[in-house]
Amino acid sequence: MDETLVAADGKNLRAVLCQRCGCRVLSAGTATLATRELLLPSMKKKSSLADESNPDCELLAEHWLVHDMFTFENVGFTKDVGNVKFLVCADCEVGPIGWHSLEEKSNFYVALQRVRHE
Amino acid sequence: MAKSYDHLFKLLLIGDSGVGKTCLIVRFSEDSFNNTYISTIGIDFKIRTTEIQGKKIKLQVWDTAGQERFKTITTAYYRGAMGIILVYDITDERSFENIQNWMKSIKENAAPGVERMLLGNKCDIESRRKVPKERGEKLAKDHGIRFFETSAKSSQNVDEAFNALATDILMQMSRRAAHGLKDPVDLKSSSKKGSNKCSVI
Repeated sequence: MDETLVAADGKNLRAVLCQRCGCRVLSAGTATLATRELLLPSMKKKSSLADESNPDCELLAEHWLVHDMFTFENVGFTKDVGNVKFLVCADCEVGPIGWHSLEEKSNFYVALQRVRHE
Repeated sequence: MAKSYDHLFKLLLIGDSGVGKTCLIVRFSEDSFNNTYISTIGIDFKIRTTEIQGKKIKLQVWDTAGQERFKTITTAYYRGAMGIILVYDITDERSFENIQNWMKSIKENAAPGVERMLLGNKCDIESRRKVPKERGEKLAKDHGIRFFETSAKSSQNVDEAFNALATDILMQMSRRAAHGLKDPVDLKSSSKKGSNKCSVI
């Protein structure tokens, strides 16, 4: 965990950007660090050596959490996958970069490993 | 917590299936990222933030994702929409001709004062163009609305198009406020169950 990312109050010190195109997802100071294990499908292409039988998912634990979807500067929501909507970059649509459960109306998670910081 | 924005506008993207509305995004040549999974699920809506005349505007943009046809898009879909972006593919003549049908659908189903905009999507290479820019310009002029052609290479025109539409909505709001009129879209009453489409012409 990079210390320069989180303020003493748990807020993000730096803006959250798309890894690929740099589109601004969250402004600085708008989200709180949350630890929760969430399973997100991979957003990278499989390497030729990868085992095709393995589900291409990653368990991610560190997230930026916001409680109002309009806190996002730019973000896309996928259609429902079961009870979940995945979050993607609004410009290049790379993702999933985050996770939202329809059962938790006011929780929106963005995985730290799926974004970069300004 | 105080609201972090001044206005929230709900916008719709509509057009024929296959006009490549999802191509209204930044496109990348081969890289290590994989968009297959996301494009299979499909995007429901996007939130974008822009600033116009010193006001912070949140845009909630809904995409029909291409599977709907103008006959099946109903009042419910248009409910609450303050702006509609009509999209056609410049390489697909039929998608352009169908804009007239989409216009009709909007007239029948959307709120009367809704702002509209025409967008020619240049998803593909210029050599495959079937609809000259002038035809798009003329159609938009006939309907008294703005016209843009997007570029597949950058998101610049797309942002420009969204901002132009948001500006129009903002202007319309202040005009209405000046005349003491109600907003064209009444979110409270439109969310009532069983509210019917009504056209007061």
